[in-house]
Amino acid sequence: MSATRQWIGYAWAAGASTACTLAGFAMAPRFDLVNIAMVYLLAVVVIALRFTRGAAVFTSVASVALFDFLFVPPQGTFTVDDVQYLLTFAIMLAVAVVISGLTRNVREQARAQAVLEVEAETERIRSVLLASISHDLRTPLAVMSGASSSLAERGELLGEKERRELARSLYEQSRDMGERVAKVLQMTRLETGAMSLDRDWVSLPELAATVLDRLAERLAGHRAMVEWPADLPLVHVDAVLLEQVLANLLDNAARHTASGTVVRLRAQVRDADIVVSVEDFGHGIPEADVERVFAKFHHAGTAPGGMGLGLSIARSIVRLHHGEAWAERIPGGGTAFRFTLPRETAPAMPAEPPEAPR
Amino acid sequence: MNVGRGTILVVEDEPEIRRFLRSSLGAEGYRVVESATGRRGAIDAGSHKPDLAIIDLGLPDMDGVEIIRRIREWSSMPILVLSARTHERSKIEALDAGADDYVTKPFGIGELFARVRAAMRHRVRPMQGGMQVRLGNTLVDLEARRAIRDGTEVRLTAIELKLLGCLARHLGMVVTHRTLLAEVWGPGHASDTHYLRIYMKQLREKLEDDPARPTHILTETGIGYRMVADD
Repeated sequence: MSATRQWIGYAWAAGASTACTLAGFAMAPRFDLVNIAMVYLLAVVVIALRFTRGAAVFTSVASVALFDFLFVPPQGTFTVDDVQYLLTFAIMLAVAVVISGLTRNVREQARAQAVLEVEAETERIRSVLLASISHDLRTPLAVMSGASSSLAERGELLGEKERRELARSLYEQSRDMGERVAKVLQMTRLETGAMSLDRDWVSLPELAATVLDRLAERLAGHRAMVEWPADLPLVHVDAVLLEQVLANLLDNAARHTASGTVVRLRAQVRDADIVVSVEDFGHGIPEADVERVFAKFHHAGTAPGGMGLGLSIARSIVRLHHGEAWAERIPGGGTAFRFTLPRETAPAMPAEPPEAPR
Repeated sequence: MNVGRGTILVVEDEPEIRRFLRSSLGAEGYRVVESATGRRGAIDAGSHKPDLAIIDLGLPDMDGVEIIRRIREWSSMPILVLSARTHERSKIEALDAGADDYVTKPFGIGELFARVRAAMRHRVRPMQGGMQVRLGNTLVDLEARRAIRDGTEVRLTAIELKLLGCLARHLGMVVTHRTLLAEVWGPGHASDTHYLRIYMKQLREKLEDDPARPTHILTETGIGYRMVADD
């Protein structure tokens, strides 16, 4: 228990004893001394339940002292005339010790129980995670070890074309696997809160161009379109992480829609924020799934590959930026993945003449 | 095989990565000197006088940035760093310490050779004053301080010209935000990245065929910009 909380306990103990004394003065003309002692006992019980043993013992000592000094005749002295008040003191002390002891046991048990529950949940998540990861990594690994052993052991028996094909699939699978491992690491980092934002003024169209370039291969079958409003301001974000949000959303759209369809990236400027959307024109997702798609390891029935982490990572990153991410069904078929970013104003920049002197 | 393209020092602790670099670079005609530790690498850089150094940033015995600093004390040889993804900070530190470019692990060999060639070219032919750069349909003439696009002159501002000059001096190589800002606006503006966002947009609109999908003034997210010219 923290030192502050300990002192709070003693403060309450002092307050309770004082309150009892005031109550005692009010009661004194009409009630028996024993009843006033009961009021003090109540204070001891309450303090013992809420605070430390020290505070409870303090309350009982203070209570007996005040009771004896102020109420037990001869008032104004600590002389204990009647042996029964010694008993009162002993009982109060015993109550303080027993109740605070019991309370401490209960508290410790509750704490242990909570720790156990958290551990069990962590263990459950970890095993689901491991099962999923190992499955998703084993497939590319199988391809890689098969292709590479063919090349290493039977290379001379293969034609030039087969050799190239095997080498290419080895390269593609290893790249794919690298991406998956990176996603798992990123998810872990986001979840443990080990991620700090490196904010910078970023142009969304510029970032999008980089992402579209990086994903050119994956989006080759689709028609990628961008639509930016003329008044789109710069955003103050972690460029690398935001690039990943766009990449994950575009990758998701490309994976789940037929080639030849449009994938549209656009933004809308609102009063307090900017809404960025990645819209596809595939079959759309069932209404029941618009939230579920953001769950970790969610796999849509038809989708090939992927870890089911992309959308979950995207949402975590957006939330780190104090935005929100969600999915919407587009009437007429298709899905929109949207996220918000706070709208901020970049500091002014010095102007210059339109043409340099020669 | 064209033997004798130059010597490349590879400072990398992972033997498998060294082996792959040795065979790929060797096949391209480079002589490869390998160092398995940072300490060894700093010594080999002095004794072998390589034409280019490839340094891994994740060496166990020594910070990659420290080796770069030591080499930069006496040599301007091109230095490429190898770095893991998501370590933008360490890349920027390495570039600010004097590295010329970086390749992110895992990388394809095509990307590595492109970086090696750009850095080697930079060594052989450092930017002279009267340089022209061809960017698609646009010819940028830095000495005449103008650009011609499809036969028509494009008006450039003084700052745009400075930015183009800075990128062209490191043609094919990355230039960090900090370097660009300090060189064009002064060291006091080294973190005003919004200036760059606005000017790069202007430059792309003036010089790129499709400003929305630039192919010559490229963004290196979180790090800086790279100018890629047509040969």
